[in-house]
Amino acid sequence: MRFGPTQATAVGGFIGLAMSLAAAHATPVVSQDATLPVGSELNEQLLDQPTELFAAEQAGGKRSHLFNLGDMLFSSSAIFGGKAADAGMSCNSCHQQGASNPKLFVPGLSKKPGTFDTTGALFNAKADNGVFDPVTVPSLRGDKFLAPYGHDGRFASLRDFVRNVIVNEFAGPEPSGQTLDALIAYIHEISFLPNAKMTSDGHLTGKASDAARRGEVVFNKPFPSNASMSCATCHEANAAFVDHKVHDIGTGGFFKTKTLVNAKFNAPYFHDGRFDNFDEVVGYFDKHYDLGLTKDERADLVAYLDAIGDADTPFTPNTVQAEVDELSQFASVLDVAIPSRDKEVIRLAVDSVGAEWREVGENFPDRKDTSVEGGLTERLKARAGVRDLVLTLRQVAMAAEADDFTEAARLYGEYRQAVATVTPYLKTAEQWSLYNPRVHEKHFAALRQLAELAK
Amino acid sequence: MPTSSSLTSSPWRFKQLGCAAALFALAALSGTAQAASMKDGAKAYEPFIAENIGKAIAGAKEMQAAVKAGDLKAAQDAWIKSRKGWEVMEPVTGTYFGEFDKTVDPWPNAKSGYHAIEAVLFSAKKTDDLDQPIAEMLANMDKFEKRLNDKKFAFAPQKLLEGTANLAYEVGEEKSGGGESPYAATSIIDMQQNVAGIEFAWNTIFADTLKKKDAKLAGLIDERTQNLKKLVGVADIKSMDAKKVHVGGEELAALMLQAAPKLGLKPFKVGDEDEEGADKAK
Repeated sequence: MRFGPTQATAVGGFIGLAMSLAAAHATPVVSQDATLPVGSELNEQLLDQPTELFAAEQAGGKRSHLFNLGDMLFSSSAIFGGKAADAGMSCNSCHQQGASNPKLFVPGLSKKPGTFDTTGALFNAKADNGVFDPVTVPSLRGDKFLAPYGHDGRFASLRDFVRNVIVNEFAGPEPSGQTLDALIAYIHEISFLPNAKMTSDGHLTGKASDAARRGEVVFNKPFPSNASMSCATCHEANAAFVDHKVHDIGTGGFFKTKTLVNAKFNAPYFHDGRFDNFDEVVGYFDKHYDLGLTKDERADLVAYLDAIGDADTPFTPNTVQAEVDELSQFASVLDVAIPSRDKEVIRLAVDSVGAEWREVGENFPDRKDTSVEGGLTERLKARAGVRDLVLTLRQVAMAAEADDFTEAARLYGEYRQAVATVTPYLKTAEQWSLYNPRVHEKHFAALRQLAELAK
Repeated sequence: MPTSSSLTSSPWRFKQLGCAAALFALAALSGTAQAASMKDGAKAYEPFIAENIGKAIAGAKEMQAAVKAGDLKAAQDAWIKSRKGWEVMEPVTGTYFGEFDKTVDPWPNAKSGYHAIEAVLFSAKKTDDLDQPIAEMLANMDKFEKRLNDKKFAFAPQKLLEGTANLAYEVGEEKSGGGESPYAATSIIDMQQNVAGIEFAWNTIFADTLKKKDAKLAGLIDERTQNLKKLVGVADIKSMDAKKVHVGGEELAALMLQAAPKLGLKPFKVGDEDEEGADKAK
């Protein structure tokens, strides 16, 4: 799920608990029968999700149909093929809420969490380059300002880059023009997160620390070995801290300059994720460019990167209301697709929104989940409500497939009414669901105990 | 699918049913049930559950003996055998036997039930410390069987339809993580048994009545059931077309939902459901 500006500031009653139990996590894949290798971790069960803001909404506008379609497709496995589709992976699996995914790990494709070999054989044998060369999963915040695309900048166009991800990295079918248009419309809307420590033109504000201010001076200071260069030469403060170029900085080739905006949340760093924090990054540059930084200067530079890389609200607690809002936006593509008899989009919407609803339903443990106490009647009603929504949506697709678009429209109306009916059931049961950090922790603790038992 | 011969080898039902009813039950178990009414069909469905809780118990007892003997392979085989009996009953385990379902088949639970035993047998590959969980599971299965044998106990078409449709919906759930039995990697067997349970329940209780009311819809449900059966008729989860199973399960459940009013039953929307089961299970 994602959050617009309203939801991002509307903190639910669980946030205090969420912060204290933020370490709660899912367990990696345990089954030899799973689509992904044992040990894979997609980090899907987040209590606090990366905050996502959209440019048009920040400007007082609204989400367009094309945006909603792109948003839905971004979370849909239907545009991928092969194992990615089978595993239910989507763009959002790696770029969670348009950010990165620092815990993503697939044995054989990842060197460390947050890295992934996009040219390995697992997802598309045709793209296998025979080299184990995982790269970090980049955040897409501010992506429209960050051309060229790909770590080595091989794509000038975001559209070409997205097509390559779908077709070559994840073995999907050739995307339609509409699919690409929608995905680009969506990605272009993903904004950098506001940061009160930085002005819009990349300078520190009064909220930044003294150490960060001293670090800003170091950042702009000419290199001893080359007075025409400083950190700011490539990381231009007034241009999202990028120069849109690739450089060889001694890491095995030419790689593009990364943005520093919101970068505090983009670890691990460098194209291959070799560094886990800013301290290691600064240490590398100090050594590689023979900067001769003192211990204090290094600490100040880290403080500066920390300040400009920060965000006011980097994470937002997941809630039932946020899920309902997001899925309503996704399903709204049917407002256009049904009257225009667009079977492809109807099918995609039903499959994608239905799958998302099922995930919501799974957050309400059934009676078999003995780690959860109380609220059984409420949980069962919530699950039954989700089932109603999924099955009503499925009937929309069935009617459309039978070319009965009048019936599809009627059923879609029924679905919208059902969302209004079911939402109170979901909210009533929320306290006994995995949206509650305490319940979340108990559930995943039980899963971990089972995994321990299996050793 | 259970066979009629497996029923005849069990005297359980013949003691309780009259001769005509017993013949009727045989017809039902052959997969070509000729239920005069849904109520008759619900009655004819009982021997199927009796037979399969019997299989679940028999498998669990074999597992108990194998564990005592330290025979890992035999214990694993018996676990699968027991579970097949359990999974084919899923149209009713949640709706009629919820309190036993949560003790026999809890998830996630490292202390008791099928999956705690599964993790030890199939992943840790041990037979240690399983005496108690197996004994507890057997005790709960016995209670299940006792409830079924109670003269006052009876299945009702409304709850059976909801349980059957709900299982069709659940068959379409995300299985990419390995499904219901991730450590044994036998989730495809669970699914095959689920679909067999759906087919049997539908054919025994609802199919004939719906044919009289709406032959086209009855045909669609039959076609979708066979489609689902074919889709899960593969060696393992990895070989399954997960997307088609997902859609197939939903379509079948949606059609059963459509059939409800034609069968004179409620369409079981949320709020309509019988809350008795949930309250009892608290």
